[in-house]
Amino acid sequence: MTDRLQDTSGDSGHAIELVEVTKHYGTMEALKGVDLAIGYGEFIALLGPSGCGKSTLLKLIAGLEDLSDGEIYVGGKLANYLKPSARNVAMVFQNYALYPHMTVRENIGFPLKMGGVPRQEVDSRVEDAAGLLQLSAQLDRFPDELSGGQRQRVALGRAIVREPLAFLMDEPLSNLDALLRVEMRTELLRLHKRVGRTTIYVTHDQIEAMTMADRIVLMHHGEIQQVGSPSEIYVTPANTFVARFVGSPPMNLIEGRIESAASGAVFVGPLQLPADKAAACGLGEGPATLGIRPEHLEIVDASHPEAVPAKVDLVERVGADSNVFLIVGGQSALIASVDAATPIHEGDEIHLHLRPEHVQFFDAKGDRVDHGGASR
Amino acid sequence: MTAIAESHVADRGVLRRLAVDHARVRRRKRRLAELSRHLVLGLVTFILVAPFYYVVLASLKDSNAIFSYPPKLIPWPPYWENYRHVLTETNFLRWMFNTMFVATTVTVLKVFLDSMAGYALAKIDFTGKRAVFMLMLILLMVPGGALIVPLWSLVFSLGLINTYFALMLPPLANPLGAILMRQFILGLPNDLEHAARLDGLNDFQIYWRIILPLIKPGLVVLAVIIFTDQFISFIWPLIATTSDDLIVLTVGVASLRAHGGVDYGLWSASAVMSLVPIAILFFILQRQFLARSLAGALKQ
Amino acid sequence: MEAQPRRMRLSPEDHARLRRKARLRREFSGLMFIGPMFVFFVVFLVLPVFGTIWWSTRFGSLYSGTRFVGLRNFTRLPDLVGAPQAIKNTLVFAGASVPLILAGALAIALLLARLERGGAVYRFLVYFPVLVPGVVAGLIWLFLTNSDFGLFNDVLALFGFKPVTWLGVDTALGVLIALDVWRNVGYWAMFFVAAIIGLPQELYQAAKLDGASAVSRFRFLTLPLLRRIIFFAVVVSTIWAFQVFDTAIVLTRGGPAGATTTVIYRVWQYVFGSNNKVGFAAAISLVMIVAILALTLLQMRLLRSRRGGD
Repeated sequence: MTDRLQDTSGDSGHAIELVEVTKHYGTMEALKGVDLAIGYGEFIALLGPSGCGKSTLLKLIAGLEDLSDGEIYVGGKLANYLKPSARNVAMVFQNYALYPHMTVRENIGFPLKMGGVPRQEVDSRVEDAAGLLQLSAQLDRFPDELSGGQRQRVALGRAIVREPLAFLMDEPLSNLDALLRVEMRTELLRLHKRVGRTTIYVTHDQIEAMTMADRIVLMHHGEIQQVGSPSEIYVTPANTFVARFVGSPPMNLIEGRIESAASGAVFVGPLQLPADKAAACGLGEGPATLGIRPEHLEIVDASHPEAVPAKVDLVERVGADSNVFLIVGGQSALIASVDAATPIHEGDEIHLHLRPEHVQFFDAKGDRVDHGGASR
Repeated sequence: MTAIAESHVADRGVLRRLAVDHARVRRRKRRLAELSRHLVLGLVTFILVAPFYYVVLASLKDSNAIFSYPPKLIPWPPYWENYRHVLTETNFLRWMFNTMFVATTVTVLKVFLDSMAGYALAKIDFTGKRAVFMLMLILLMVPGGALIVPLWSLVFSLGLINTYFALMLPPLANPLGAILMRQFILGLPNDLEHAARLDGLNDFQIYWRIILPLIKPGLVVLAVIIFTDQFISFIWPLIATTSDDLIVLTVGVASLRAHGGVDYGLWSASAVMSLVPIAILFFILQRQFLARSLAGALKQ
Repeated sequence: MEAQPRRMRLSPEDHARLRRKARLRREFSGLMFIGPMFVFFVVFLVLPVFGTIWWSTRFGSLYSGTRFVGLRNFTRLPDLVGAPQAIKNTLVFAGASVPLILAGALAIALLLARLERGGAVYRFLVYFPVLVPGVVAGLIWLFLTNSDFGLFNDVLALFGFKPVTWLGVDTALGVLIALDVWRNVGYWAMFFVAAIIGLPQELYQAAKLDGASAVSRFRFLTLPLLRRIIFFAVVVSTIWAFQVFDTAIVLTRGGPAGATTTVIYRVWQYVFGSNNKVGFAAAISLVMIVAILALTLLQMRLLRSRRGGD
């Protein structure tokens, strides 16, 4: 009977499938019915703030914890009741989890040795992995003699050498200093392009996710908020949470109402804007939120037809750009991202133009109203 | 140099001299404090250690020398008869063997039993885990001496009275080891075990290959505690074994006092000889055992 | 956005069954690891605790059988020859030795912790008496207290005092207490040293800057910080003091006239030295166990509630 269960193939060749995956710890719901399908060779980022459930999800896929409900398929086989080592996945931990009493060579070769691989093959595969990760000189040292970056590479080596179906990475770069992190990011990507295996990468750093992933899975409070490519997530966020989480500085969100006027639907708040297209997509009267990214706010002359008056509160110079903190309508705070060369100072009274093709609306629940026309 | 610069230089010189004087005073105060500490500690240590020297002295004197006054501080020539007496006319060697045999066996067995139990308490989720742990904590303090009645009756009805089993089995019940091991194992990061599971290890392999090597200092502490406990144990061996060839060191030495009449030379020599193994063990391990392990264990 | 939601392929019953199997596997594993030790624990510790209760309700001897007498052993305990005295002796012993041991240990620890060099030698020597088996310690002190050639009387004679009978009726218990202090002060001294070393140094530096003297630093900084550890030490050393036996048996055989007979000594005498007092022995043992359990629980309750309060 167990055989039949394990042979259940997926509806397609998905590397990993999650069906209504639920997990609770006592009364605390960590994951609420997560559905996801991951293809072979994809680099998926599980992104979200602490406590959103991303690490829990990874542990469930790895088999380190049991599901409360739902099913997980790895390589088409039901994996719920398989031991972690039988699922053909390898994991890289935030704290590396290297065996302190074994050398680098023994650490990397350990899973093979436990799997009964003959000695010579273990040695050659370890050497290959070490070469790939530039660890050949460190093979006979112990973890406590290595630097953080080297330890991380040993952890990677231990995962790579198993040639698993998928790599699971739990914030692997969080413990490295900023410079090293950027270096390792590029190395990881290069590795992924070379080895080409499915990778699920948990992180809370949106820059990591945006630069590395084929698709991003944004999570919050145990639920998936949006799944899409980095540009999809950036340009067409599914709700206000996604809109604010991705992008630095974050998207401006202005709260107001949709009202009917002679010219059509209008957004009324600290500033006013026509909202015809949004209304056409079903956004009715009532509370709504307007969203626009800092880089899409232009500074214009007062003479501009759609000019919005604003006062400069603070100017933050960050290299090539400046972040300008503005007060609109006496209360709302907006951030505009402009070229650093722009002559602008605190206290200035200026005028803004919101590029209409980049204006987005979110309804009262915070979900995005799709008006289809959003371009890059 | 200008006038102002000159006065600056002069000031700096004065300041420097003041600083040096201050430092000298402080150093002298510190050395004085250190010296007084040494004095007091030296006195205390002397008081604590003097009895040993006194007994060693007595063991090397014959009866006349023992009773003479003023006592000779360095017995010369040393009187070895007392030691020969102990070795040849008492069962001392047998007693020593019994103690070492029982202590070593119990230590080896208990180190494994307790580390496995500690691993279960620390890392495995099983029903009643909390209850078991609480039970161990509560009964931790119950002294062996208070249980001799039912324990004796139990061992007797098992037919094990007056066997090595009687000496070796009851000590295995002490929960201190399991609790100690739990503390040490809790300190190991969870991810290590996760990595091991993904690498294909089953529960026992994780215990044997990962956990045990990483708590070696804890195992050493445990082993020393168990061994010392067994070495000193008296009440239970006293009632658990009656035949001559099973008597342990403590019981044997006590019997010299109880039955052997008054023979100070014998007593002192046997006392000294009893201390030899524990002194050696302690000397070897004292660096590792004392402050470091206590401080580490206390942190929890 | 994702396509239509997937459906689970296995029925809830199948899942429940498989989940149960996995759980059982884990329970089995836990049992295997804790089992062996736990078996010994139950057989040779838990069972005897209940056994003490059972035996305390019986009258007779270990060898020739007993009969049930209910709680009579407890009610007759105060009248029993030697029992109240044993309890009194034990309480006096504990009441005197514990404060002396801990105060001495604390003093030694304070000195040792601040020592810059040479600490290892002192530590070794101070701790050494702890390792001595009680019977050997008793033997050693027989030599010290001997009226004719004992070290104590020799020292007294040196200063011109008259020799004292150290093991007489009035002084024997005091000698026993002194022995216990000598034996145990090193153990707690090491304990306190480890604790003191673990104290945050910045507090002391701040106090020194504020002008606090060594004495007030001790009173207002060290003592409160060590409060929980000291409390723990008090409870544990009291429990140990209750069990004094091997030193008494060698030093004085419980005499003279029962002056150094302690509870455990009485228990031993009742069980193995008489024909019909097994029940009483168990009864006294039970009283002691209850007292110790009460102390333990009290300690656990107090330590837990004070967490973070220090």
